[in-house]
Amino acid sequence: MSHAPAAENSMDSLLGTENTRLGAAGLSARRAALVLGVIGIGLSVLAAPMFGGDQGILLAKSWLQVFLVVLSISLGALFFVIIQHLTHAAWSVTVRRPAELIASNLTWIWVLFLPFAVMAATGKLYLIFPWADLEHLREHNPGEYDLVVKKAAYLNQPFFWIRAVVYFGVWAMLARFFLKGSLEVGESGSEAAEARLSKWAGPAAILFGLTTSFAAFDWIMSLSPGWFSTMFGVYFFAACATTGFSAIIICCVLLQRSGRLKGLVTAEHYQDLGKLLFGFGIVFWAYIAFSQYMLIWYANIPEETGWYLARQLGNWPILSFALLFGHFIIPFVGLISKWPKRMPKLLVFGAVWMIAFAWLDFFWLVMPVIPHDLAYATDYMSVVEAYRDTPTGLLNPIHLTMTVGLGGIFLWATLNRLERYPLVCRRDPWLRNAVAFENQ
Amino acid sequence: MTTLVTTPSERTGPAGAPPRRLYGVIAEFETPGALMKAAEEVRKAGYRWWDCCTPFPVHGLDKAMGIRNTILPIPVFFAGLTGTTIAFLLQSFTNSWDFSIWALVWVTGYPFLISGKPLMSLPAFIPVMFELTILLAATSCFGLMFLFNGLPRHSHPLLANDRFRRVTNDRFFVVIEARDPRYRAGVTEEFLKGLGPCAVEAVEEEPCPA
Repeated sequence: MSHAPAAENSMDSLLGTENTRLGAAGLSARRAALVLGVIGIGLSVLAAPMFGGDQGILLAKSWLQVFLVVLSISLGALFFVIIQHLTHAAWSVTVRRPAELIASNLTWIWVLFLPFAVMAATGKLYLIFPWADLEHLREHNPGEYDLVVKKAAYLNQPFFWIRAVVYFGVWAMLARFFLKGSLEVGESGSEAAEARLSKWAGPAAILFGLTTSFAAFDWIMSLSPGWFSTMFGVYFFAACATTGFSAIIICCVLLQRSGRLKGLVTAEHYQDLGKLLFGFGIVFWAYIAFSQYMLIWYANIPEETGWYLARQLGNWPILSFALLFGHFIIPFVGLISKWPKRMPKLLVFGAVWMIAFAWLDFFWLVMPVIPHDLAYATDYMSVVEAYRDTPTGLLNPIHLTMTVGLGGIFLWATLNRLERYPLVCRRDPWLRNAVAFENQ
Repeated sequence: MTTLVTTPSERTGPAGAPPRRLYGVIAEFETPGALMKAAEEVRKAGYRWWDCCTPFPVHGLDKAMGIRNTILPIPVFFAGLTGTTIAFLLQSFTNSWDFSIWALVWVTGYPFLISGKPLMSLPAFIPVMFELTILLAATSCFGLMFLFNGLPRHSHPLLANDRFRRVTNDRFFVVIEARDPRYRAGVTEEFLKGLGPCAVEAVEEEPCPA
């Protein structure tokens, strides 16, 4: 073909260092993120007694909530990487490296879970996970104790920590495997290495599904150990998709604004990332959230409905409806069309919006406490009346400082990775198809 | 390069048959690249009733032809919304209201207490609202796509043309219809020949069944 040399030249210029390496350009942002992160965590920990909450419960729950947000970002990115290899997707080659680098945070994210190990070591884990001290639970909440004691074979501290080690181990292994493999393909263009990634994507998807589901059971559902929902793992997966795809979009847009990935990531890629965010992060989330709600609402079994009741007492309905509108209806209408997905500025606004509401989703999952005396209530209205003034605590400054703190550390680590590695899989056999990709 | 252009005076059928009406002109190209360039030129020349036919989807052809996005999503969105509304009204009327409305005959709602839930229980209605939204959106999408494309259409003048048969194999065609306001007999053929096709041919309307 006569135009081949020209295409070769343009490909070389697309893959030039200035377009595919962040280098030291992220240095100031990275330093700022680290400083903000340290200050945020320091403020949260030191000022926690002033912010209220007894015995550090608020601090621990706030930490858990923001930890889950940054964890879900990494897991969502890992899911994206796995699914691209699983489907042999060509279009996504140019956006896969940022996803791999975000996912590779899973190799160190266990560090952010260590505070709960400290709590366990000092015998304080029961403050947020009531099953951790059954004697205490029997004294203070006999109604829940009767249910939880039957789950002790699963909900006990040794097994909890064994599982946590397994989850973090599996995630670190998967993230590392896909990043290393991709770096190898980027260096050598080896089709064998590419095929190996595809081959292991299937088992990786199964491992991913099992570990995220059980992690959601362990770290969120067991906050209210009397309650259960078999859909909860899928709910957490949907939340991972929301934050993960949003983070990939934000990362690509910011890299392009700093002059990288020019000509490699186009409106076509943004449209497809937007479709994924719309499909999984908005519609699928709403589908799962509603399905879980409807089954429990319909069956109307007290040990199940308590969890939702806690979220409709006092001021909590405001946040429940904020999720309905902010996490589903408004972004559904906003992102349903083709054109906002193709405009990076609008799409990145949608992505930031979705991360904000996913943050609120985790707040809504982690913070409420099911009233202890629910088992003895005689009628619904008396419960509603008794808990009429339940605050949500959303405006407590600890949530801001904690978000800045853990978010800053996460951002610092992510920028670190973006600076260290090439931003695109340079010699991927499918790179040319990805650059030329069109939706129609 | 074989070029075959028939003029209206030549277009006489078997002895005694009336001359057939001209459907349009086709230009045959050997590569997608040549077709793409030709499409740019035809668009710039201001033709409106024309099309490109290819054996496989050619990326960027829509842009070269200047085809705007379809408006199909807009009616489909409102069809979906209609489904949501109908499902809500149907369920709330039948389950929770006891007055009569006239819908071909007089029908009355039948409030019936189910598992102690309020008569107007939105969560119970949502699955049906969701399903009817999907149903109306999907069927209207399918139906309107047919309508907008002028389907079903059981025959087409191009399908009777022997040269055009290679469109399913290895050739790329530009078709300009005779009803285009800019179509001028002879001029349009010359214009197409200037775009570097391997053949240009006039296509006639099919004869009407007697």
